[in-house]
Amino acid sequence: MSILVLIRLTLRELSSKVTMYILAGISTLVLLGLALAVSVDSMADGEVLKLFGQQVSPPVPLEELAKAVQQMQAGLAGGLFTGIILFGVFATAGVIPDMLERGTVDLYISKPISRWELLLGKYCGAVAAIGLNIIYFLAGAWLVFGLRCGVWDINLLLSALTMTFMFAALYAMVVFFGTWTRSTAASIILTYLYLFILGGILHNRELTLYLISENAVYRGVIDGFYYLFPQISGMQENGAKQIMQVEMDWKPFLQSFFSGSVFFLAAAVILKRRDF
Amino acid sequence: MHALECEQLTKVYRSGIRNKREIRALQEVSIAVESGQIFSLLGPNGAGKTTFVKILLSLTHPTGGRALVLDRPVTESRVRRRVGYLPENHRFPAYLTGEQVMMSFGSLAGVHRSALSGRIDQLLTLVGMQEWRKVKVRKYSKGMMQRLGLAQALVNDPELVFLDEPTDGVDPVGRKEIRDVLRNLREQGKTIFLNSHLLSEVELVSDRVAILDKGKLLKVGTVEELTTTESSYTIGCQGPLPDALRTEADARVLGVTFSAEGVVAHVADPAALNAVIDLLRKHGVLITSVTPQRSTLEESFINLIKREIPS
Ligand SMILES: Nc1ncnc2c1ncn2[C@@H]1O[C@H](COP(=O)(O)OP(=O)(O)OP(=O)(O)O)[C@@H](O)[C@H]1O
Ligand SMILES: [Mg+2]
Repeated sequence: MSILVLIRLTLRELSSKVTMYILAGISTLVLLGLALAVSVDSMADGEVLKLFGQQVSPPVPLEELAKAVQQMQAGLAGGLFTGIILFGVFATAGVIPDMLERGTVDLYISKPISRWELLLGKYCGAVAAIGLNIIYFLAGAWLVFGLRCGVWDINLLLSALTMTFMFAALYAMVVFFGTWTRSTAASIILTYLYLFILGGILHNRELTLYLISENAVYRGVIDGFYYLFPQISGMQENGAKQIMQVEMDWKPFLQSFFSGSVFFLAAAVILKRRDF
Repeated sequence: MHALECEQLTKVYRSGIRNKREIRALQEVSIAVESGQIFSLLGPNGAGKTTFVKILLSLTHPTGGRALVLDRPVTESRVRRRVGYLPENHRFPAYLTGEQVMMSFGSLAGVHRSALSGRIDQLLTLVGMQEWRKVKVRKYSKGMMQRLGLAQALVNDPELVFLDEPTDGVDPVGRKEIRDVLRNLREQGKTIFLNSHLLSEVELVSDRVAILDKGKLLKVGTVEELTTTESSYTIGCQGPLPDALRTEADARVLGVTFSAEGVVAHVADPAALNAVIDLLRKHGVLITSVTPQRSTLEESFINLIKREIPS
């Protein structure tokens, strides 16, 4: 019950922020552009996919056109993926620090709700806001490809779930930074630091951190860190696989779920112990 | 029954990583508040008043001691269904209107949606904020925020309300209105815990008062008890006082001063007061009244705090 109230409150908070409008606006522009740019033409030797009037796929029989469209959809989803990571984190990183601000946190904690429920409600609210944006974009893209190319691919719609899951795993980390530092700017910087630097180093640990020492304990610790963080690139690959109808790898799902739980729990512990 | 009860409540804030600084915000404070009373906590800035209230709402964890609210431990979040709180310098989310604030925080306080809209109407009228209900909170003045805060604190019809400086920033008419609201709540049997600097106001509404300074509880009592300087009495007398009386009073060092209305006796106990009365009677003085001298709450407050300073 309280969780629902908190989710609504968070959605309202985010819908008052200009960053969310920018996010929705960019999505709309890309969809409109896509609707204008993409088309299917019949040639003598088969069907071709065109982008801005330029042929982007070899002529194929109509039954095989779907493959070419999937290719394009996967590329688009990859773009969305990056956009969500960049803008989504940026737009929602303030949710927890804002709640924990002096004078506001008192209002929340003095209500008959436990602190972890507050955190969960805000977490779900922010994930829901981004999830809605993802669904908006992918449902739009699904319509565009269906109407313009005649390819109605349910996997494109389903990939919204994969992508929202990925954001949820990432956002648990943002919530942790937000609870710990109580600063929006610091949360964004720390999250980007992971996404752009630490994440890459850990992912390629065989080529980087492993070279420092051959000590098994050291490498174990490095591995531990790797699995502690959300598996962003693994999830990104899964998103593309889903659209291309290739079997997904379940490990990134499991690891991201684990990582999200750990970060959320750590945030809840920090919040529980803090004096306001 | 006690609406709240705490024993030996202690809070030490530790800050600084290298040179650990300790702030003893509360030192073994024991207070019990009867249901149906207006109880005020007074004290200079930094005395620990807000800290005390925050512990009772589980915003801050005590370092030591025990605290019960409505007979439940403060760590139990469910008990806060029956508790209201107006925080000091509160900030409502600026993107909400007054009405939305009441809706959201009312739901969080556990009020059912069906009961909420009627309750909101009633409370916004009570605090004089009906006209502003559709306006975003970011456009409110300080006093308006305070009024909305009070309405918000009452949204769940609480049995116990904590108000931290409720009249801060409110104009004189508004203050009077808030005092009336408080009296009204007491009539309904609610318990009100008030933190305030405004002694003259506290004096007007409180049943009991506690004075806190540097985290220590100096005194608890009714306003009357705190403002009565037990050692001074004015003894009203008829007619002029004989000179012999004056000489004898001075000789026996009774601590008596003479004024136009009669005699002021500064005495240690009732026996000494009676000794003065005996003396007056012996000299045939006609006594018309004996009244304990009252100081204002402000005077006794300042005296009490001053006395503490050397220690
Ligand atoms: N979160 C905190 N961390 C560290 N010290 C704190 C914290 N909150 C309060 N203090 C300290 O505890 C002491 C008591 O503060 P508190 O806010 O309870 O005083 P107060 O009586 O409410 O004062 P005022 O009348 O100014 O509102 C002060 O010395 C203050 O600096
Ligand atoms: Mg205070």
